[in-house]
Amino acid sequence: MIQGQSTHLSRTTHGIAYDATHDEIIAPNPLAAAVVIFRGGAAGEEAPVRTIQGARSGLSRPETVAVDETNDEIFVGDPGDRRVLVYRRDADGDARPLRTIQGDKTKLLQIVGIAVDPVRNLLVVSTYSRLAGGVTGLLIFRRTDSGNVEPQRVIAGPKTGITRLRQIGLDPATGRIFVAAINNEYLPPYDVDKPRAGLSPDLELPSPWNTGSEGFVGVWNDEGDDGDVPPHSIIKGRSTGIVHPAGVTFNAKDGEVIAPDAVWNGLFTFLKPELFR
Amino acid sequence: MRRSLIVTGACIAGIVFLTAPRGAPSMEQLFVAQTHAAAESENLCLMGGDDREARGQAQQGQNAAAAQAARLAGTVDTSSDLPPVRMVVDPYPSFNGVFVDTAGDRVMMSDTNRKSLLVYPRTAGSAAAKTPESPRQQIMGPATGIGFIAGVAIDSAHHELFAVNNDVEDRLVVFDDDARGNAKPKRLLYVPHQSWGIALDRRRDEIALSVQTPNMYVVFKRDAQKFDAPVRSVRGPHTGMADPHGIYIDDTHNEVFVANHGNYRPAELITSYTAYDARESRQERTGNAFSETARGSFVASSVTVYDADAKGDAAPRRTISGALSRIDWPMGVAVDEAHDELFVANNGDNSILVFPRTAAGNVQPTRVIRGGATGIKGPMGVAVAKDEIFVANFGDHTALVFSRLAAGNVAPKRIIRNAPAGKETSGFGNPYAVAYDSKRQEILVPN
Repeated sequence: MIQGQSTHLSRTTHGIAYDATHDEIIAPNPLAAAVVIFRGGAAGEEAPVRTIQGARSGLSRPETVAVDETNDEIFVGDPGDRRVLVYRRDADGDARPLRTIQGDKTKLLQIVGIAVDPVRNLLVVSTYSRLAGGVTGLLIFRRTDSGNVEPQRVIAGPKTGITRLRQIGLDPATGRIFVAAINNEYLPPYDVDKPRAGLSPDLELPSPWNTGSEGFVGVWNDEGDDGDVPPHSIIKGRSTGIVHPAGVTFNAKDGEVIAPDAVWNGLFTFLKPELFR
Repeated sequence: MRRSLIVTGACIAGIVFLTAPRGAPSMEQLFVAQTHAAAESENLCLMGGDDREARGQAQQGQNAAAAQAARLAGTVDTSSDLPPVRMVVDPYPSFNGVFVDTAGDRVMMSDTNRKSLLVYPRTAGSAAAKTPESPRQQIMGPATGIGFIAGVAIDSAHHELFAVNNDVEDRLVVFDDDARGNAKPKRLLYVPHQSWGIALDRRRDEIALSVQTPNMYVVFKRDAQKFDAPVRSVRGPHTGMADPHGIYIDDTHNEVFVANHGNYRPAELITSYTAYDARESRQERTGNAFSETARGSFVASSVTVYDADAKGDAAPRRTISGALSRIDWPMGVAVDEAHDELFVANNGDNSILVFPRTAAGNVQPTRVIRGGATGIKGPMGVAVAKDEIFVANFGDHTALVFSRLAAGNVAPKRIIRNAPAGKETSGFGNPYAVAYDSKRQEILVPN
């Protein structure tokens, strides 16, 4: 376990990445607007080997991270400014991003997952929002995109089965995108001076016990899929044990898909070797 | 959640198949079925005892073998509704917040893992306890509104039980004194996202909640409900709050104590959001004219103390912080108003720190309870009553009771277990992300 104030982690961490090439762990700290990088074998109250934080970094609420081991870059999804920031892998301190993707053309809103495919030179972002015209789905950019650019493709719509999503993973060997479709319901944001202004006093807001559609882990292809397309593979149902999966990763070597579930407060591993061929 | 980064190896075995009720089970039925299955199945629960390493190695081998056999035999289930080959689910409660009600002679704790409230007699437990203590009340189920729960309190004058959810549910729930089971709260109050601690202000008939991200605490009338707004809040750069957790109101001295982890973002970087939506970005708020100079920072963990009448961007009366203080990710705080002492559940180094109530600056604690004999592991809640210290452990399936003057590496007077001795906790607190360390074959789970 890695914990304690010297780690510069927070109790609110919704993203994580592992860099196998350099044996490092990368995690965002949204509460301190930072990204912290640990050695792979870190334990206890161990300080990060590098920390990206500061005004030049452009970080405001980093939620999700990915590492491109081929091109030596770290990608950060920051919904606080609705942008993607790209840093040198070894960036440290108040480092400027190499590139930023941001603006109305990007369709970036509540960014909750990010993954990079150095083989096909693609960047995939999961985003959601209830805002009018907002996309709840996957945005696929060119890996080196910068500025206010339109995504190359958007995977979203009723056929996807996604009503809300979180972390994504991507296997560069196959181009498959693994998506944690948590699919629980929304709460409106809280304004401390006017809590939920305009809502009827009789309204019952949802809770995890009383929520939307059943969540799942879905699989799409980063190169071919576009528009309102169903997943090519899915992990869903009572036998799976998962209800609202909030994260996903994989162990390609053993053909395993791994997903935590917030309702059960647990971690589930599924054997799906066909997805890694 | 203790929030931290947890590394879990492949330490469970075999194929897990959960038996769910036929038909269209409710989430409650699924939850209960899974909890019972996990509790009763020796080959299901990962939360083992001392044989973990050996079992983990054996299980890794079994898993690899099972995967290989499946590949060769072509028997892999390619349908969507397939059982997991492994799961890490802790079937037992994990204690978080703690409150001692001397009038009712009882202690109440929140359970983040199984999502419940547990009430025990105040004198429950024993020094040699090896088996779980039966609560005299447990409130749990879909009607309760209890989820990723944190702070708790009992108002004995009004016969009410309070619990606040830290994440996801974004609500405070209030129950009648004798509620149990899948009870609907007598009232609920929607609260800011990431509310964590709760404190009762008996003099003003109010409740105060600490809120992590906005670095603030908010005060409501005790009987506030639904969409009622706070009557006041303390927030702003002069408050010194940074990722606050525990909160305690000292009625005797008219002060509010707040425990801060030290993660800080200025107000300019804070946008209104919930666990579910970010309605507002900085661009929307400022029309792309926002300053790019605002930055996050790490400040030392601290305990800040305010006048109980404070509101707005009020500076603390006192701050305890610094290397001498040993404060490290403080969670719960409590004041012994009769003996003028402050108690801190020091999550970062598995200790309880005791300071004079009026301590300020970079000062040493007067007593520290820490060490292997204490059993303190991931302390979240602390309470003081009747010359005893109650500690809610998140890193172990226990709550511990010490003498008020305990110090050093001392054993607790009593242990209240919520699982058989030796059962490990998962350490999970609402896991929302995961990564795989292919070098060590470990799964990384931030919390």
